[in-house]
Amino acid sequence: MECKLIRPADLDEALAAREQYTHDALPIAGGQSLLVMMRNRLVAPAALIDLEPIEALRGVEVSSAGISIGAMNTCRQLIASPVLGEEVGVLPVAARQVSSTAVRNLGTIGGNVCHNEPGADLPPALLALNARAAVRRRANAREVPLAEFFTGYFETVLEPDEILCRIDIEHPPAGAAGVYLKHAISPEDLAMVGVAAVVVPDGKQTGGVAEVRIGIGGAAPVPLRAARTEAALKGAVLDAETARAAGETAATEVDPPSDPHAGADYRRKMVSVFVRRALLQAARQIEENGHGAA
Amino acid sequence: MALLELKVNGQEVRVEAPDTALLLDVLRERLALTGAKRGCETSHCGCCTVRVDGMAVHSCVVLAVRCEGKAIATVEGCGDGMELDRLQRLFLEHGAVQCGYCGPGMLMAAQALLEQNPAPTLDEVKKGLDGNLCRCTGYTPIFDAILAYGRGE
Repeated sequence: MECKLIRPADLDEALAAREQYTHDALPIAGGQSLLVMMRNRLVAPAALIDLEPIEALRGVEVSSAGISIGAMNTCRQLIASPVLGEEVGVLPVAARQVSSTAVRNLGTIGGNVCHNEPGADLPPALLALNARAAVRRRANAREVPLAEFFTGYFETVLEPDEILCRIDIEHPPAGAAGVYLKHAISPEDLAMVGVAAVVVPDGKQTGGVAEVRIGIGGAAPVPLRAARTEAALKGAVLDAETARAAGETAATEVDPPSDPHAGADYRRKMVSVFVRRALLQAARQIEENGHGAA
Repeated sequence: MALLELKVNGQEVRVEAPDTALLLDVLRERLALTGAKRGCETSHCGCCTVRVDGMAVHSCVVLAVRCEGKAIATVEGCGDGMELDRLQRLFLEHGAVQCGYCGPGMLMAAQALLEQNPAPTLDEVKKGLDGNLCRCTGYTPIFDAILAYGRGE
């Protein structure tokens, strides 16, 4: 059966198509994962709704409320954006580690998040940035914290008549530092374990932290925030010992899969290692800069 | 079916193809441009790499219809059909091609890299070619050829 292509002129037309087709059509962003899934016969939509022509899904806007990133921004665009580098540097750092150059040229932030493939690089960074998903359907709009967006392997809260339009991030607190570390056999692979940490210094003593946010990918059915680890670090002084202990706590918060690349035990161990490293790197950034950019 | 108006290697072409036809299929099956190779067809191997508005892309995961109004460049556009261009000549001199299947993709990825970064370091070359696999050469001759290009050889 031939797959039909719907090319809406704007968001309203795209949402109308979503409402009309629901499960029979899939929106296509960069296509770097979806076209592979179609090739492998994992999905066979009767139609694709092409999001490329839609202006409302583009651009990066900065306001006093924060940074709003259109879902159709490619990894290449995230990497090249000076404002993202300055405001939320951990996001372009993670984008640089997505797959290969050719895939980064076309693959989008919205596609990456909605595909929700285990080990994807952007979700941990976005979780650590407290990002929110701005979702539209024809009749209304809703905002979903990214921590509630992912529901299972390749699954999200997105309903079949909805479109993820933008990713919104509040300005990180002054002086915050952000780190993303990826553990993979080859850098182009999905992460066996990907850890993002945003550390907000308390500004009083060396290593003192007001707040820490940790996003972990590849180590559970969904990318997640290490809530208990974060709570334990509130008001702590970040040194080798607290970072090690935080890594061990984080390892108890994940539920890693076993696959041919890595067993669950190994992944769990790597969570503790990479959480520790990410925290210490962030602390070093803060110390070196006096003020790291998150 | 859709009637596509594409610009391939500087030449305007009109071609009929299914709505969701992939660029790789249009190039190979409809336009007889078989330089871009069919490899994994899942965006891993890079044998199908072409350039769209200068960017290296894997044509097995690109909708052809999205390329309308953009400049598509394939390996057939290198040199003039008789003479190799400088990059191709350096690939030849450095033994960067053995079985040859990855060659067209490597050349297009290297072109895209060199256009952005005319004198890349070895690390930058490796990163620029991270979407292209070669199972013969061990990559070193390919990297050498591109580094030589950067030195103006």
